[in-house]
Amino acid sequence: MNATLTENETVTEETTPIPAEETSSVGQVIPAVQARAVHVSAAPRAASTADEPTAPPVIRSHEFSLLYGSKVGVRGITMDIYPQSVTAIIGPSGCGKSTFLRSINRMNDLVPNTRAEGRLEVNGQNVYDRRTHLVNLRQQVGMVFQRPNPFPKSIYDNIAYGPRLQGIRGRGALDGIVERCLRDAALWDEVKDDLKKSALALSGGQQQRLCIARALATEPKVLLMDEPCSALDPVATARIEELIAKLRDTYTIVIVTHNMQQAARVSSRTAFFCLGILIECGLTRDIFTNPREKQTEDYITGRFG
Amino acid sequence: MRTLIRRILDRLFTSVAGLSVLLMSAALVLVLGPILWRGATAVVFQGTVEFRRMQLYEFGRGDAEAVKAEVAQATQARAPVYQMLDEFSEGILVEKLSDRAKDINRSFDDQVAHRVDAGTISSEEGRRLGRAARKLRRTLLDAYDTDDKDEALELLDEVLSSPARKDLKNTVAESLFKQAGKYKRIVESVDLTQRDTYAESLREVSDILRELFGPRREDRAADLAEVRYGVTRADQAARVLDRLLWTEKWVPVEPGKPLVKKRTPRAERFQGTPIAGLFSTVERDLDKMLRPETTVYWRFFTDNSTTGHFFGGVGPEVVGTLMLTALAMAIAVPIGVVTAAYLVECTKDTLVVRILRTCINTLAGVPSIVFGLFGLAFFVLWALPGLDLAHGSSVLAGGLTLALLVLPIIIRSSEEAIRAVPQSYKEASLALGAGGLRTFLTVTLPAALPGVLTGVILSMSRAAGETAPILFTAAVAVGPWPGSLLKPCRTLSYASYDMAVGDRVAQRVPHNQFGMILALVLLVLILNVAAILIRSRISRKLRGG
Repeated sequence: MNATLTENETVTEETTPIPAEETSSVGQVIPAVQARAVHVSAAPRAASTADEPTAPPVIRSHEFSLLYGSKVGVRGITMDIYPQSVTAIIGPSGCGKSTFLRSINRMNDLVPNTRAEGRLEVNGQNVYDRRTHLVNLRQQVGMVFQRPNPFPKSIYDNIAYGPRLQGIRGRGALDGIVERCLRDAALWDEVKDDLKKSALALSGGQQQRLCIARALATEPKVLLMDEPCSALDPVATARIEELIAKLRDTYTIVIVTHNMQQAARVSSRTAFFCLGILIECGLTRDIFTNPREKQTEDYITGRFG
Repeated sequence: MRTLIRRILDRLFTSVAGLSVLLMSAALVLVLGPILWRGATAVVFQGTVEFRRMQLYEFGRGDAEAVKAEVAQATQARAPVYQMLDEFSEGILVEKLSDRAKDINRSFDDQVAHRVDAGTISSEEGRRLGRAARKLRRTLLDAYDTDDKDEALELLDEVLSSPARKDLKNTVAESLFKQAGKYKRIVESVDLTQRDTYAESLREVSDILRELFGPRREDRAADLAEVRYGVTRADQAARVLDRLLWTEKWVPVEPGKPLVKKRTPRAERFQGTPIAGLFSTVERDLDKMLRPETTVYWRFFTDNSTTGHFFGGVGPEVVGTLMLTALAMAIAVPIGVVTAAYLVECTKDTLVVRILRTCINTLAGVPSIVFGLFGLAFFVLWALPGLDLAHGSSVLAGGLTLALLVLPIIIRSSEEAIRAVPQSYKEASLALGAGGLRTFLTVTLPAALPGVLTGVILSMSRAAGETAPILFTAAVAVGPWPGSLLKPCRTLSYASYDMAVGDRVAQRVPHNQFGMILALVLLVLILNVAAILIRSRISRKLRGG
């Protein structure tokens, strides 16, 4: 991770999928994790421009601020998030990463006394506009939370919850959606025998994958993930990261993480927040190898935070 | 040293906890035990032939042929007792004897006149016979009237040795001699000066025997059911038998000290009389006269009762209690849950909301009689007559009052339950695009259901057992099977109160009182157990079972 790379080179990471039987013992897993190959290939300049965004941004914020009463959550955030990619937001605790993330789908409305300033647009539509249809917004922008929070219902009912809200009632249609989402979330093989089982009977990692599957059920354009792996063990974390890698070609993913290695592994762009302000935003490899700001460098090298 | 103190405190804590559990269990056993035990005697007891007779004629239950056969056998067993009684009473109740003598004389006169007309005897002869008979009658009546034993015996001997005896043979007047003979026997054994007291004691005995065995001739037309039958239970019989065999009197033992109750055997009073043997006969053969056998009267919980709950069961009361409870729950639970939801989800913690919450909590502690009076003033006297629905007590008024009573409990427990649902469920639901109401109905409320059900269970017990709120609004002591919402109804709680403060009739059937309480306790128990089972099912599903 700390190798210096030239601009021509791209870092692609192949992760060998961890076979199920090896997850039973930690001793066997670590070598498998370490067996990830890091290929450094010299690529022509044209390919490197593939890292530069070509499509217009899905999420734009311009001088966006969110205040809790008189306390500042985030201030003056101006950044873009591009489609079909993974954008990571890193920073020390309490720096406003989650606040910004939750502003995108207006989950901050649950907190009393919040006030937003500036513009925050998703697909060109200002999120904090009075006329914004919240239900539509939240169906377009899915969210996965820090602690897995499946409903106390069956696996099937958890995933079917979103589609049922949209009015899809037919048994066949719902069956199809449930299977698709569970396959996308790499959970199908483990639960296909008993979809009526309670979701709370699953393990932590399975529950989080279920939550991801549940979020995918409404076919969102954007997937927000608020520290999805912080409550999970390393093996489960690795599977979630695989999942993110699989999903990133289809969805726009914004992931908040306090784990820099994770950010470096999964994302193509990274934003660094500190004390409610966006310090730096850019390509992941730039941030991690050649940061512009001193604060960023201090954080990445572990000198504070 | 500190570890030692901590260990001692630990042990103390454990023992106090254990002691309190023991105390609660003991209290439960002490309170419920007698209720269940004695209430069970309303259902399982030794029923006599009178019970089976009562079941047949009042409730139309049982094999008529078998009952009639039993009654015949019992009557046979009782016959010697009545015979003794009749003999003696005939001897004592001289008005009857005098009347009888006069009747005999009258019919004899008719007979003589008949014979004269027929020509069997001459009118001269007839007049002579009539005179003789009249003389005999006068002497006999004199004998009846006198209190002096010797005088009576003299007069009776005069009658018995009358020369007219053979003349009057084979006539109606012969019975006069029979009467004289009978009376002589009585005079020889009885102290005539005591005749009045004998008469009174005899009446007492006769009354007790009627209480024990029922009327001698079947009297189905009597107003009160309790008069138509004898004792229906062996324990009742034992009590009545005790009253038959013993008399109680308060006598002064020491001057200046309170009087002492003294028991004397009743047989002593009738010593030397032909009736003396009655008491021992009854005592000895009571089982044959009453034929008790173990009865399991399940229908106690479904049968109607006769006036004053003397016979029968508590069926209408059970139905009334169920109706009131169901109505109260049907009103209070929706309103309560919605109110709790509003308080949790839609309000901020302003002063107004805090005052509101304090009011609700205070209402939970208001005495139930206040609710009853409010229900009377508001529903019974104003609202329902105003809407022209009911004028006077009604199940509707009672149900509304009970709903008001339990509403604070439901609001409070539902609020706690809804508040206890993890915020994460709500967030997940909202993030998927559900609106506030949708989230509440499909995620929050189902997750809060066990807590809500707890409040419902507590309220159900309260609503079923409360007496004060229904005292003025719905309850009535006497009435038909509950049916209409706009009429008052009989309930277990009110009927228990009514019997407890009621007249002597209720005291004669303590088993029915206990049975009523048992019915109430069982009803509440069954409702609770059902609700607890439902709640644990839901809980298990929520926890991932």
